[in-house]
Amino acid sequence: MRLLALRLVPLVLAACSLASAQTPVYTNFIRQFQTSSGVQWDASVAATGSQLSPLPIDSAGSRFELWTVQATPLTSYLLTSCFVGTYVPVAIVTLHSEDPYGPILRTRADRPFSVNIAVSGLLGGLTDPVSAKSVNLLRYVQSYGLGGTGVNIDRSQATLLTQASITQNGTQTFSYAVTSVPGANRAKVSGEERFSVFTLADYQAPVSQIASSYIQVWPVADGSLAGLTQGQLIRFSLPQVTVTLNDLYPSSTTYVQAYPGNPQLGTLGKTVPGSVLIVNDSVPQSRVLTLKDYDSVFDSEGTWTMELLTVTPFGTDRLAYLSFDVERAINVNGTVTTIE
Amino acid sequence: MNVHAIESIRRVWIAWPLAALSTLHTALCPAAPPAMRDAATHEQLALQLRQAQQEDPMNRLPTAQGKDPAGKPPADLLSQSDILCFGGMATLVPKHAILLIPKAMAERTRFAAGCSLMGWAEFYAQNRGWITTVEVTREQAEGHEPLAADVTKRFAEAANLVVATYQGGPISVLPPKTPPPASAPQTEKNPP
Repeated sequence: MRLLALRLVPLVLAACSLASAQTPVYTNFIRQFQTSSGVQWDASVAATGSQLSPLPIDSAGSRFELWTVQATPLTSYLLTSCFVGTYVPVAIVTLHSEDPYGPILRTRADRPFSVNIAVSGLLGGLTDPVSAKSVNLLRYVQSYGLGGTGVNIDRSQATLLTQASITQNGTQTFSYAVTSVPGANRAKVSGEERFSVFTLADYQAPVSQIASSYIQVWPVADGSLAGLTQGQLIRFSLPQVTVTLNDLYPSSTTYVQAYPGNPQLGTLGKTVPGSVLIVNDSVPQSRVLTLKDYDSVFDSEGTWTMELLTVTPFGTDRLAYLSFDVERAINVNGTVTTIE
Repeated sequence: MNVHAIESIRRVWIAWPLAALSTLHTALCPAAPPAMRDAATHEQLALQLRQAQQEDPMNRLPTAQGKDPAGKPPADLLSQSDILCFGGMATLVPKHAILLIPKAMAERTRFAAGCSLMGWAEFYAQNRGWITTVEVTREQAEGHEPLAADVTKRFAEAANLVVATYQGGPISVLPPKTPPPASAPQTEKNPP
């Protein structure tokens, strides 16, 4: 029984040291906006599938918007929109990230992403109007500002970065190695990139956005270990360590590990009790953790390395590390003499 | 119990905490690839951005000229919606879709923290007791035709909240474009 209790302790400690946030819950809504009349209709839809709208398309076209709404705090996000009208080309904008999270697509300031633009319905006849022969693709970027989360931002302030003309039907893929969201410190940018497809104006209809989609970009996390210094000699118990964590990715597991020897990237060490932090949220998180009574990890004398790691959908990143010497053995020098 | 059985039990007994810890670690790091790297720095990313800007994939398309066509972006869904909330459930309907709010139900048009949000169909299915729907035509929703007289007459006595729907989905009903005939009693004109 005592053995069983001993075997449970690590698990109980590990479980107690986990801190996690509640997963945000989203509800989706589709709205049909009649361009000329201004009437709005709520299309109740299942999570997946397709259906025809019973409300006829307006003479000037109708815009369909897919929204997702978070109940706590009550916030709505426009996921994508689509314009449908008479003789209007069709476009679909699909963004891809290494993070499979949804419904709001997201990535990190140092990670690549790509966008697929599928256009159909473009005409190529000599007598066809110019507006039926091409559409314009526009790329916008907008910063959320330092510590911003994008809630209630004014999207009319987004910066138009590039615009190009698409004159052929088909799907095109554009890949980006890193984001272009503006920011002085490239590791700390946060904001969004939006790709929109617009029709050209003609005598019948004004310029219309026929498809649009965006991806959120969150900053690279950083952190520090305070309480221990590089090269410090530990003779007694290990000191209390303060772990400062900034901009942890919304889906991440962060922990401190230790292993004997000098720093070596990729080494698998022992997890320091009380250091595991799980973030499962919609925006980045910053925390401060205090580590104490973790001597059990350092079970031998010599040089040890302590590393602060964060695991995200993009892989494992080392945020901070330091090495120090543990020398707890007491050497007693003495002599034994006799009277002889 | 033979020796082999005892040995296999002993192995399981020794191995299970390791297996459990391994499972826990896997759960914590479900997508962790074997490679580990130092977090990217500003300098590295600034260099990457410069290279990316020189190789912008959109450059292979013909450049489009002209003013930014994106005018005002779509307004926030919440600002364009009314909320129905009761019994820990809530939903959104387009503004002007609620035709009548009895005084006793005014509180049910405010979002209460902690409520779970759901689509109209699910919400209505569970709140039929206090919500009445009125099917309207497209012309009525656009304000080109008034609501039927018998419908508006029922509003005076209604104890339920009334929502306008089109094919079962809530729809905004705009104010009539043509004002209804004046209700003031007409005075008989004197014969010439």
